[in-house]
Amino acid sequence: MRMLRATRHVSRTMPNIVTLGDTTPDPAAAERAAETRLLERVRDAGDRAAFERLFALFTPRLTAWITAQGCEPTTAESVVQDVMVTAWTRAHLFDGAKASARTWMYTLARNRMIDHFRAGERRNRAHDGFATIEPVLREDSEPPERDANRARVAALLEELPPEQRRILLLVYVEGRSHREIAEMLGLPIGTVKSRTRLAFNRLRKLMEGEA
Amino acid sequence: MSIVHHPSEAWLLDYALGNLSEPFEAVLRAHVGVCSTCRDTIAFAERLGGEILHTLPGVPAMGDARAICDDHEQRREGMLAVSRARDVAVTDDIEQLVQMYLDSSLDALPWRQIGRGLRLCRLAEQDGARMWMLRGTPGTVLPEHGHAGSELTLVLKGAYFCGSEIFRAGDIEDADENIEHRPVITRDGECICLAVTEGRLRFRELAPRLVQPFVGI
Repeated sequence: MRMLRATRHVSRTMPNIVTLGDTTPDPAAAERAAETRLLERVRDAGDRAAFERLFALFTPRLTAWITAQGCEPTTAESVVQDVMVTAWTRAHLFDGAKASARTWMYTLARNRMIDHFRAGERRNRAHDGFATIEPVLREDSEPPERDANRARVAALLEELPPEQRRILLLVYVEGRSHREIAEMLGLPIGTVKSRTRLAFNRLRKLMEGEA
Repeated sequence: MSIVHHPSEAWLLDYALGNLSEPFEAVLRAHVGVCSTCRDTIAFAERLGGEILHTLPGVPAMGDARAICDDHEQRREGMLAVSRARDVAVTDDIEQLVQMYLDSSLDALPWRQIGRGLRLCRLAEQDGARMWMLRGTPGTVLPEHGHAGSELTLVLKGAYFCGSEIFRAGDIEDADENIEHRPVITRDGECICLAVTEGRLRFRELAPRLVQPFVGI
């Protein structure tokens, strides 16, 4: 089984992270800001063209994520539709000072998934979990407009030791609980907790000061 | 309220992603309501989720943006809970907060005396997780025990020691099968805790093992 990448080749100094006082243009930050501007145009002016662009940007990755969480394709389609309807009808509740558009969209989808699973649908856990997270860092299947962010987040994740990165991706991509991960990997629960803490706090430190 | 002990990041991620049974969810929600540090951690967990979402290779998606715009009117009013960091009742009065979740006063609960100055009340159970309210008199020494699974204990009132650590109102003690402890309630007042356990506790001493089948903890 191949896990993500076998080699680490990214500088530990993380040159593409914008810190306070750094005037170097950061394409990933620009991409994130552009998404937020689109959502603000939907919110402030009911801009249909901006919504269409958001739709094109978010629905492929939301569908991928919801499927990885264990939903059947038809359910994933329905959930994504609900999320996008909410993004259109309730855009007035978006506050760019509190969250970026991508955080807001993620939390809308996450909340919809929580409702969905609490309503009784069982997660489909028959698939091989590692197959789901393996392609996360591949760079050969991305449309050009996502390269900047992809490279940036990939570099952040590359900062982590593979055993920490694996746990974080099982949490976020597949929605596995730390108890489930301990059982899957045959690790003591304390090991999963400590690896999660180290990975999470490392990324938090690296991302501090970003827009 | 000065909170020193927090649930591990693994618990907060599970909370942020909605992966928990209701007993664990409830005890964490009560802590998050009084702990700005954990609310910040959850907010960052959500931000990180948005970033990791963007690393996924997209798949062809169905749907039509124009149809959504045609079929649904934008609203300009109403509320919508979005962030789990803000979707909690924030307060400094943890006892009042838990009463709100319990829909009952502490005194109205059906307490059961289990000896050694300790009363216990089982509140809920789901997926093998049991939620308890514990109430001990000053100086009570609880039996030393290990765990068959996870255990989260939120102090509502008073304080207790575990070894050299002291847990006060608002603190969470995060234990699991790798941890054995013997909580000792401080001598300056009653201690009330909300706890969630998985599986049976593992007592070293005979007396609590004899009582255990009747109590169910």
